[in-house]
Amino acid sequence: MKENYAIEMLGITKRFGNILANDHIDIRLQKGHILALCGENGAGKSTIMSILFGLYTPDEGVIKKEGKVVKITNPNDATSLNIGMVHQHFKLVDTFTVLQNIILGDETLKEFKGDNINFVKKSLNYLNKKIFKIIDYKKAREDINKIINQYDLQVDLDKKIKDISVEMQQKVEIIKMLYRKNDILIFDEPTAVLTEQEIQDFLKVMNNLKKEGKSIIFISHKLNEVFEVSDEITVIRKGQYIDTLKTSETTKEEISALMVGRKLKEFNGKSKKTPKEEVLRVEHLTMIDPFSKKKVVNDVSFNVRKGEIVTLAGIDGNGQQEVIYGITGIKKAHEGTILLDKKDISSYSIREKIKAGISHIPEDRHKHGLILDYSIYENTVLDRYYEKEFSKCFFLNEKNIKKYADELIDKYDVRSSGDGNTIVRSMSGGNQQKIIVGREIERNQDLLIAVQPTRGLDIGAIEGIHNLLLKQREEDKAILLVSLELDQVFALSDRILVMYEGEIVGEFTPDNVNKETLGLYMSGAKKDKVNAIKEGINE
Amino acid sequence: MNKIKSFFSSLIKKDSTKTVVTSLWCAMLGLILGFFILLIINPSNAAYGMTSVLGNYLIFSSPADKLNYFGQTLAKTAPLIAMSLSILVSYKAGLFNLGASGQYSIAVLVICLLGAGANWPWYIVMIIAMIAAAIWSALTGLLKAFFNVNEVISGIMLNWIALYLVNGILSNAGESIWDGAHSESVAITSASNSFIPSIGLDKLFAGNSIVGLGMILILIVVIIIFILLKKTTVGYELKATGLNSDAARYAGISKVKSILIATAISGALAGLAASLSLQNGFTSWRLSSVPPEIGFQGISSAFLGGLHPIGIIFSSYFIMHITEGGSMITDLGFSPETASIMTSVIIYLSGFVFFIKEVMRKYEIKNELNMLSRNKENKV
Repeated sequence: MKENYAIEMLGITKRFGNILANDHIDIRLQKGHILALCGENGAGKSTIMSILFGLYTPDEGVIKKEGKVVKITNPNDATSLNIGMVHQHFKLVDTFTVLQNIILGDETLKEFKGDNINFVKKSLNYLNKKIFKIIDYKKAREDINKIINQYDLQVDLDKKIKDISVEMQQKVEIIKMLYRKNDILIFDEPTAVLTEQEIQDFLKVMNNLKKEGKSIIFISHKLNEVFEVSDEITVIRKGQYIDTLKTSETTKEEISALMVGRKLKEFNGKSKKTPKEEVLRVEHLTMIDPFSKKKVVNDVSFNVRKGEIVTLAGIDGNGQQEVIYGITGIKKAHEGTILLDKKDISSYSIREKIKAGISHIPEDRHKHGLILDYSIYENTVLDRYYEKEFSKCFFLNEKNIKKYADELIDKYDVRSSGDGNTIVRSMSGGNQQKIIVGREIERNQDLLIAVQPTRGLDIGAIEGIHNLLLKQREEDKAILLVSLELDQVFALSDRILVMYEGEIVGEFTPDNVNKETLGLYMSGAKKDKVNAIKEGINE
Repeated sequence: MNKIKSFFSSLIKKDSTKTVVTSLWCAMLGLILGFFILLIINPSNAAYGMTSVLGNYLIFSSPADKLNYFGQTLAKTAPLIAMSLSILVSYKAGLFNLGASGQYSIAVLVICLLGAGANWPWYIVMIIAMIAAAIWSALTGLLKAFFNVNEVISGIMLNWIALYLVNGILSNAGESIWDGAHSESVAITSASNSFIPSIGLDKLFAGNSIVGLGMILILIVVIIIFILLKKTTVGYELKATGLNSDAARYAGISKVKSILIATAISGALAGLAASLSLQNGFTSWRLSSVPPEIGFQGISSAFLGGLHPIGIIFSSYFIMHITEGGSMITDLGFSPETASIMTSVIIYLSGFVFFIKEVMRKYEIKNELNMLSRNKENKV
């Protein structure tokens, strides 16, 4: 039997500069089916969907709709082919009502009817179409109410977007697609913003849509929901097409293994070491997002001891970043205590925490780590310019700063086009990162927090930073690492804490777990009750 | 030959050189447009009008007059420098001080009451005026730091509040302060205790008594601000907050403290501007329904000076030179309005430094790209 495809994307290739974001990816969506698209962060899922929606044009490959080759060069093309997309971040106008948002860009115009003279009626309609554009809200409302009843998507049409919940906003986005008579629907990580109960409701909505004959592509890393609703699963990894499997004929373990890749690079650079006394202890940390009111970190407890690297692993956006913000004080914690060297530092200011002994390599070097328009000299003392060594009374001690910075430039091999007066903005990402890593390690604190310290770096630079972190471990520092890359997690960690939706759901050592199992925990398919506080050994 | 060439190309590539070049371009652009305006309004006198705008005191024939008016321009430059520094300091901390006029007005109030009214010594009046303006300006800082009110909006509103407050209080003050007949405040004369002393400098400028200690004071303040921004921890914190407030937060720099310090310093500088003009007797407060113009001239001058304390000395002089020269063309058959249109066009075009810089940068990138692709072709 020849399969009936709604959409086929064949051999799609997309390059950004030297980076191959999509390498000959095939996606086949059957009519009336739900296809789940799975893959790690940066696997190229969003890129391929953006191509289907016309946000990018592919370098190679063809797209077919119902067997016919089509050209999609912008979102308008996609809309006219009845392809609709709900983005991860909704595209709604906050101050408009639900009704206005739904019809925005596809307004039903008023048509004049009745017993008037034909000519007048015609010209009025013509003028309205061309000039006045009076909107027929009544008709629009009727049409939308029909959709609401058909698919069971209850929303209040007269409320403003800013006054309704995220779940409701998502429903508005869905109604928007249906109002435009789209029959191919793309959802980009739709459940990332929803709570557990809302996810169940959403999955019901997906099934309703399927029953009415819509074809759906569903991007997610959460395997539980993928297995609940999808008919087929396509896995991509690092921009490459891996496989497409029927959901009924596969298992979560298999998909998880396909997502992360079976190849595991062995790493032998680490010595055996017994952790010593505790440096950082986090107890019952809870953080609430001020906008969504969601608990982004939920009752997290763990500790880090001297001479060990503890890694918070997980898929991006599961609360790892917020845990670090809570510890360093960049964001306010809702509840919980943070102990550093047995001292309660929960209520300290950021400066006091830095002084108490926290070194922090932040995730975003441009946002937090550096002042790009400052020179190397100025950036090497960003969090210690006020120390006695670098300032006298109110004056900066430029001589000492320069001396210190020059040493750091030498030791960490920071390369720039000039000397230490070079503006950091003009340097490469790797060298910028070396400044931060050097600065934080040289402060010689007991606790080093490193958040994705190798993000966006090439292999050479990554190895350099790995070695520096391992050396810190040798020197009995306590290191808290946040990493999204499993290779890195396995290479560096002594303990791996997996975070999922703001909670620690698993604790492992690199020896007692493999990537496949870790993948299951990261995607929420498996959960343990964890108390990640381990006693240190006092010498 | 090549050495000289490479020296010049490296000089051109330097950021500070670029700023100077763009500032000169802006000034040129403003002058050309100003000339066109004169041409449109009165073609026959345009060339002569332009000469007198550019020449200012140089058009006088007697050397004594030249010196006298040169001194006048210099003395009037001092408050503008103070005002530009006020804009500069807040700008470095990431704030746009549109409330400088209001801070100036508050200082005027203090000077009129304590100077013309009570005849207090000049330095005490100056210091109290600066403190008052600093407190007024810190209001904007408080609103920004604690309630996240945009400093531009609160600054503008405080301008109007200050304006009517000063109008109201001064016009009801006694005879020694308010000259009801001319509806302006009584000017502080060189006989008064509150007059900034001339310390003999007047003799250098053909007896022009408004030239004096003020000019030296402002140069010292320029150096203080330069050192504050460049060499102190406070300056480091202010600039860090202005350039990247997230990174400043990460480094434990208190944003509230930075904002309050920056607004207070820039307020004090606006107050100094008032002191340098009123306590030198060449202005008084006129009953007016618009905030004092100098607050806005300061913005142009700060940008034309490349947002650098030393650059500001030159840009302020240029602007004052044009303004003074412009005030002379009324004798040539141009209305006073024309004179002010002409000078404002020049001044406000001078504020285009960033725009021109951006245009130049794009041009440069294009050139570099061309060169890169040519090099690649050569290699292939």
